Amino acid sequence: MGTGDLAKYPFLNEAGKYLRESGFGWEELDRPDMRDIIERAAERVEVEVSGNVYEKLDRYEIEILTFLVTLIMVKSIAFEPVLRKYALAEARRAEKFLIEDLKRQNDAQKRSLFPKIFDEIFKLKIDVAKDGRLFKVTVTDYLSRSSHFHEQEWKMINRLVDKGYVYLDADETVRLVRHELSVLIYDKVKAMTLPTLPQAIRTRADELKARLAPRYEYRAYTVTDYPPCVKHALEVMGRGENLPHSARVMLATYMLAIGKPIDEIVMMYQNAPDFNEKITRYQVEHLAGLKGSRTKYSVPSCEKLLNENLCFATEECSGIVNPIQFGRRRRKLQQE
Amino acid sequence: MNAKSVQTAKSAFRGYYFNAKAVVEQLGKIEQREFGYMQFGQAGMVRHLSFRVMGELTAALVREVPSDVYCSNAYYRFPTAPMQEKQWLGADLIFDIDGKDLELPCIPSHSYAVCAGCGHASAPAPEKEKGKEYSCLSCGSKKIERVSIPCGKCIEGSKKEVRLLMEFLTGDLGIQKENINIYFSGNNGFHVHIADDSYVALDSSARSDLAGYISGTGLMAESVGVRKGKAENLAFIKFPASGLAYGWRSRIAHKLKIDSSSVIRLKNIVEQKGGYAAFKAELEMMAREMGVRIDPQVTTDVHRVFRMPGTLNSKSGLGKVRCDDLDSFDPFVDACILGDGKVNVKIKTPVKLKLKSKSYNISKESAELPSHVAVYLICKGLAEAI
Repeated sequence: MGTGDLAKYPFLNEAGKYLRESGFGWEELDRPDMRDIIERAAERVEVEVSGNVYEKLDRYEIEILTFLVTLIMVKSIAFEPVLRKYALAEARRAEKFLIEDLKRQNDAQKRSLFPKIFDEIFKLKIDVAKDGRLFKVTVTDYLSRSSHFHEQEWKMINRLVDKGYVYLDADETVRLVRHELSVLIYDKVKAMTLPTLPQAIRTRADELKARLAPRYEYRAYTVTDYPPCVKHALEVMGRGENLPHSARVMLATYMLAIGKPIDEIVMMYQNAPDFNEKITRYQVEHLAGLKGSRTKYSVPSCEKLLNENLCFATEECSGIVNPIQFGRRRRKLQQE
Repeated sequence: MNAKSVQTAKSAFRGYYFNAKAVVEQLGKIEQREFGYMQFGQAGMVRHLSFRVMGELTAALVREVPSDVYCSNAYYRFPTAPMQEKQWLGADLIFDIDGKDLELPCIPSHSYAVCAGCGHASAPAPEKEKGKEYSCLSCGSKKIERVSIPCGKCIEGSKKEVRLLMEFLTGDLGIQKENINIYFSGNNGFHVHIADDSYVALDSSARSDLAGYISGTGLMAESVGVRKGKAENLAFIKFPASGLAYGWRSRIAHKLKIDSSSVIRLKNIVEQKGGYAAFKAELEMMAREMGVRIDPQVTTDVHRVFRMPGTLNSKSGLGKVRCDDLDSFDPFVDACILGDGKVNVKIKTPVKLKLKSKSYNISKESAELPSHVAVYLICKGLAEAI
């Protein structure tokens, strides 16, 4: 893999290896010549959080460091929606480069790119078809990804299928892994443990956070911010009483939506009479889209909760259609 | 089914399970599967059972003598836990082809009306009464169950679908023949089990897409090169860049006698049909006809308990048995695995059938029949033990 590839795909393990081998240390980010990198990273985060793809591409040394600083900044901002938007935009950026590469490169180059990106990271084996223009993936690899797309053209019946393979062009091949790219970047940020931040990054990250806070801060919850339905579920759990399955789902999806760590959510159920940590953890992870069907479940609507006798609406609930909106409204009123 | 009939059927089933230790097939990963069964004369299924080894299972079959035995195609970490706590680990890919879904023209000529209320049965409806709403001649109830004694054409019709399914599985999907296990369902159809680990992890929506592929559902006109024009019902031709060489595109191209260079020919075909919308509707119908008549719900369901190979079907007393050679397979011989001891039965309506290569044309009110024939008729609701 060339250094140009590392510039475009700085999330590859090889980029991390480059940093380690070059003896890079956190403290170096405080050096004056790193200011440009930090500015670049801040710009990238801002562009991406606004829903756009950051298009600039520089030398790999710069790109790898910029990417690293964006990860640190997003982690330090610590707003779940910011992280999600950032992860999606980074995925779309990589997707754009991948499509260009798949179209431009010759067969040998294509074959060297695939094992790195598709096989190593997504466990997706891709081969170049005989004509050198199309790519082929196995039927099961295709179905496990495409079946979550809604467009009819992705139904396998509308694809070229033969002897266990589905044939795709470059754009389609990359589209197949967009979601996984986004999850990869999301997980990278989630898994980070921040050291004491170099002052230069801290200042810039704090500035960004202050700017983004009015839009996203409502999600930084406190106990009093829980909507009454969630409070009720927590009280029932706290008393060690049995909570209906639908209420448990509501509680877990709500907690996941506000960014509570899975460990904490699992422990919320420990007073339940039938608590089994292993089963609860699996179920919470399932709802989070990490297990089973990989579908991330959303919080049930107020209407659904009302129908299931799980709604304990108060005046403050007026005007909301989903419990997740509860805190947002309260914060707005306070600001006014 | 009266008490005597239940006793007769149960005794025949017990005889089979007692001697069938070698017949009930070994199941892979038995300890991760959920089992269920139904009992004669009782509604509802006993589910969420688990067995560590085949011996435990066959012992339970002899002890309980179930009317029907089911086994999950899914693997679970905790097979006996309630559904949401089982922890799904994967599921075999399965297909169900049911003769009654094929809507064959012969079906009315060998279907009987059995009253769900009083059990009265009547012979196939004469031609002129076809399509009329039927009431029980004995009690007037309108709750009628149509019971069919499949004929050779029905079985051949189902076999045809199995052969077509095989073409899709081995050709399009590239599944090795030795990983495809075909079973007679035990009544009027076939079950196809795929033993290919790469399909085990697929979730329900992926299987739904696969079922759509096999059954010819959701084919877009654009996939074969017909695109919607700007004006209402106008179409223009632009073949997909990836061509028409394989899969459904190739099937349709073959049927329409076109290839990726037949722009004018395809344009003419679309115009003849009446434009984009009419072509689209016709294409959808064509694909359905060319697809396999599988039950999509069976393939899509990743938590289903499915009839277990080697067990008996209480709709007929025949077994769900493996078909190693589909062409020569005769369910009325190869799946007719109950004994030959004599049983006296009261026949509710004159019937014709052929089992173990022997033809029966029974018009008397009562008869002494071999156990496998008596149980077949009892299971169909056309006779009662006396």
